[in-house]
Amino acid sequence: MLKATQLGFSFRSRHLFRNVSFTVRPGQLLHLRGPNGAGKTTLMAVLAGLLAPVHGSVDYVIEPDGKRTTEAEGVPDPKRWIEYLPAEANGHFLRMDALTNIRFWGKLRGHTIPEDQLTVTLRAWDLDHKWLRFGFPVEKFSTGMKRRLALARLSLSEAPCFLLDEPLYGLDDAAIKMFQTMLRAHLNRGGLGVIISHDTVPIRDLVTEVLAIGSVAASQQHAPVSS
Amino acid sequence: MSLTSAQRTPPVVSFGQQLKLIVTQGVRAELADRERLLSPLLFAATIMILFAFTLGDVDPSFRVKVFLAQTFLTLFLALQISFARIFEPDTQDRVFDLMRTCPLHSEAWYLGKFILVLITGTLILLPTFLLGGLLHSQDASPLLTWQMTLTLFLTLFGLASLGVLLSAMTMRALARQIIFPLLYFPLTTPVLLAAVQASEIALVGNSGDETFNAWLTLLAGFDVIYFTLGILLFGSLVEPS
Repeated sequence: MLKATQLGFSFRSRHLFRNVSFTVRPGQLLHLRGPNGAGKTTLMAVLAGLLAPVHGSVDYVIEPDGKRTTEAEGVPDPKRWIEYLPAEANGHFLRMDALTNIRFWGKLRGHTIPEDQLTVTLRAWDLDHKWLRFGFPVEKFSTGMKRRLALARLSLSEAPCFLLDEPLYGLDDAAIKMFQTMLRAHLNRGGLGVIISHDTVPIRDLVTEVLAIGSVAASQQHAPVSS
Repeated sequence: MSLTSAQRTPPVVSFGQQLKLIVTQGVRAELADRERLLSPLLFAATIMILFAFTLGDVDPSFRVKVFLAQTFLTLFLALQISFARIFEPDTQDRVFDLMRTCPLHSEAWYLGKFILVLITGTLILLPTFLLGGLLHSQDASPLLTWQMTLTLFLTLFGLASLGVLLSAMTMRALARQIIFPLLYFPLTTPVLLAAVQASEIALVGNSGDETFNAWLTLLAGFDVIYFTLGILLFGSLVEPS
C-alpha cells in the first residue's frame, strides 16, 4: 500500500499543502481533487519521488500475506513499485518509434515483453499499424495518440502502484473506455493508484477514495458510491 | 493463497543491464537525429579551414605549436557543443523526469552517458585532429604514436567527465543557458594545458620521457578528480530536490 504521512511542501514562502496523510490499499484508487494551483501535481511529483517533501514521508508498504510476511514492512526502493504518468507529457523519445519507446521503458523496469503481447497491447490502444509501430517517430503522433502510447506502456507495466496525472488528456471516447478497462483490471489484480483528473465522470465508478486539496490541510474520505 | 499485484515483488534490473540500456538508447537517439553529431563536425571543419586560410604559411619552427593550439581550441569548442546537447533527447516530453522515477542506479546513468560521450567525442576528435594535421602539413606518423593516442584519450576522458556532469546540471538549474560555459571553460583549463604540453612533447619529442610523463600524470590526475566528482554529484542531481 502507498502511505503518505504528514506531507508538507512549500515553494519559497508559500505553503502549497501541509499535514497531508493518506493510505491507498490494494484495489483502491485515490482521486486527488482541488482547484487549479492547489498543489495536486506537486503532491503527485512528491509521491513519484521527483520532489522531496519539506515535511513528512512517502512509503510503499507491503501488507502481510500470511505466508512470506507476517508484519507490514516498508520497501527499500519504492521506485520499483510505483509507475508515474505526468500531466501534459508522456515520457516518449520523440524521434523514436512506438516499439522502441515501449521496449526501453519496459526493460528499464525489468519487464521482458513478448512481441505478441506488444502487438496485442498496441492493437487494443488502436496503434497497431506497421507504420506506427516501427520506424515512425512518435513526434508525428497526435496528442491523443501520444497519450494512448503512454497508457499502453502503463498497461504492460508490472508496477502495482500507478500515479496518474490527468491521464485522460487528449483521449477520444474509445480510448477513455480502454483506459477504464485497463484501470479496472489493474485494481482487480490487487493494484492501486492515485489519480488527478478534472474530468470526473469517466473515473466515477473506479474511484474508491477522495482527497480534497485546496485548503492548506487535506483529509482523505471514502468516495460516495455512484448510482 | 496467490499474491496480489501489490504484494508481488517487481523484477530487479542489474547495474550492467541498466548501463547497456542507457548506452544503446543513447546511440539510438544519436542515430535518430544525425544533425546532433554532424553540426559539431561541420563547426570543427569550418574553424580549422578558417584558421589555416588566415594564418597561411606558418614558420616551420612554430608549426607544431600553431597546429596544437588551433586543433585543441577547435576540439574544445566542438566538444562543448556536443556535450551540452547530450541530454537533449531526455529533455523532450519529460523523459528525464520519468527516468528519475525509475529504479535506476545514478552511477549506471552517469556511466552510460559518459560512454556515449566518449563514443561521440571520438567521432569528433579523430577527424578534427587528422584534418588539423593535413592542413598544417604534419607528418601523420607522430599523430598515431601511443603517446599521442594516450594523451588524446585522457583529454577526452577529462572533458567528457565534466561534460556529462555539467550537462546534467543544466537540466536542473534555473540559469541553464549560462551555467555550462561558466563552469566548463575554467574547469577544463588544466586538462587542456596538460593535454597541449603532453601533445607537443609527443609530437616534437625533445623534452624526454620524464616531462611527458609528468604532464600525462597531471592530466590523469584531473581525469580521476573530475570522474569521481561526476559519479558522486550526478546522484544528487537526479535525486528528489
